[in-house]
Amino acid sequence: MAMISIKDVTIVRGNRTVISNFSAEMEPGTITAIVGPNGCGKSSLVAAIAGDIEVASGEIWLAGRNLAHLTLHEQAELRSVVMQNRNYWLSYSAAEVLAMGQDASSRARIPLVLEQLNMAHYIDQSVTTLSGGEAQRVEIARALIQDSQIYLLDEPLASQDSQSKVRIIDCLKQLRDQGKTILIIAHIDKGALGWCDQVIDTLS
Amino acid sequence: MIKRAISLAALVLFFSVVALSLGAAEVSHVWSYIFNPFHDASSTSHQIIWQIRAPRIAAAILIGACLGIAGVLAQGSTNNPLADPAILGTSAGAAVGVVAGVLLNIVTIGSVGAVLLAAIGALLATLLTFSLARSALQLITIGIGVSAILTALVGLALSMISRPDARSVSFWSFGSLALVTPKTLVVLLPVMALGAAFAWKIAPTIDLLSLGDESVRHMGFDPQRIRRRAFIVLATLIAATVSSVGSIAFLALAAPHIARYLVGPQNRKLVFYSAAIGALILLIADTASRALVPPNELPIGLLTSLLGAPILILTLKRGGDIWR
Repeated sequence: MAMISIKDVTIVRGNRTVISNFSAEMEPGTITAIVGPNGCGKSSLVAAIAGDIEVASGEIWLAGRNLAHLTLHEQAELRSVVMQNRNYWLSYSAAEVLAMGQDASSRARIPLVLEQLNMAHYIDQSVTTLSGGEAQRVEIARALIQDSQIYLLDEPLASQDSQSKVRIIDCLKQLRDQGKTILIIAHIDKGALGWCDQVIDTLS
Repeated sequence: MIKRAISLAALVLFFSVVALSLGAAEVSHVWSYIFNPFHDASSTSHQIIWQIRAPRIAAAILIGACLGIAGVLAQGSTNNPLADPAILGTSAGAAVGVVAGVLLNIVTIGSVGAVLLAAIGALLATLLTFSLARSALQLITIGIGVSAILTALVGLALSMISRPDARSVSFWSFGSLALVTPKTLVVLLPVMALGAAFAWKIAPTIDLLSLGDESVRHMGFDPQRIRRRAFIVLATLIAATVSSVGSIAFLALAAPHIARYLVGPQNRKLVFYSAAIGALILLIADTASRALVPPNELPIGLLTSLLGAPILILTLKRGGDIWR
């Protein structure tokens, strides 16, 4: 059974149809990358799967359940989301941000994820003073410490140096090997996505 | 951290004792009455210190603490450093609730009913501002508008129907602790204690709001629900303060910023420290208002501005960043 099923989905933003009659499936234990030019609806699709926006028509199913019938809490148990361009504006430490809203079992995974993403050296630093890549890794870590079936990541590799890219990709591969379903938006060449199991090019 | 908490508590205690010794009436041997509360209990001096000054000092501490906490809730729940109960319309809404209740002969000031009407007015006004605003900037501009309308309504109503039991226009605009009695405290204390306890309880969910509404939803929480709960607590605290001492300027805006500078942005810490700082500033301001030019009283709102604003400006300059 596909973990994510996108069935004939149309998404309208304002009065522009950004995605029309798009279908796709993502299996457990796979990494799928969505690539394509700006404005082709990549982020809208991920936003729809994350439950942030409604689809104009069609259905999205997560783990065999219609997304439209899932509560916020049920969605959160199924999937974790990493958003792009986080601007922190209060000087919480990175450690404080990671712990926000997390249950005990998620908090227990914090040290492991810090190690994996090489974040331990700035964990007590204020998030307002972090570089773009460091802040993005805080966001990725917030998602990774949650034990979900599905991980949605909007441009996780943007503004990362090559070493961090490798670390993040390794993390995602590990999750795949644990049977998780991973969907990323990527702004890089298809050729650099050899580590993905499925690449969806534009959504037309 | 604990050292800071103890020094703040010690400062509040120190200024309370100083405040007991100061006032319009000359009291001889004032210290023997202060340090021995049961000495010569039937004398006028004892009554001035323990029946008049002490309740007022207690009220200043309680109300300052409430305003400090209310500011934390206002800023945290709206994700906006400029938000405070005066700007969101919360205070004006509370005033409308009480004044309407008194003029319609439903409640008297100082009763639980008055606090309840104030809370309803405060909550409705806050929700109105919040539901009309589409951005952080609009929240402030619309809030100022809602406040202005409600304040004008109170002023006009009181100008048309002048009744001493509904207090004066200047009471509702600038605030005054002059009319506080031990009876006021009996109503205030439980409402405030409850408000403070709930603020403490929901503080971690307000931390979460700083991540932005989308992130909150991604984690399975409803940001609007968190906000509504914060608004209810905010309205309760403001209802308790406004219905007993009117609208006191600036404190709810300044205290959280000063606290944030001292202990960082975590809302549980802020609830405690902002309360302590609010209490300290209001206590000093109220003591100055009654002791500087006796027997006249200076308007308390002007003194809280005069005291709080420079501390706020220094804090923000030294913090280097409004969000600290």
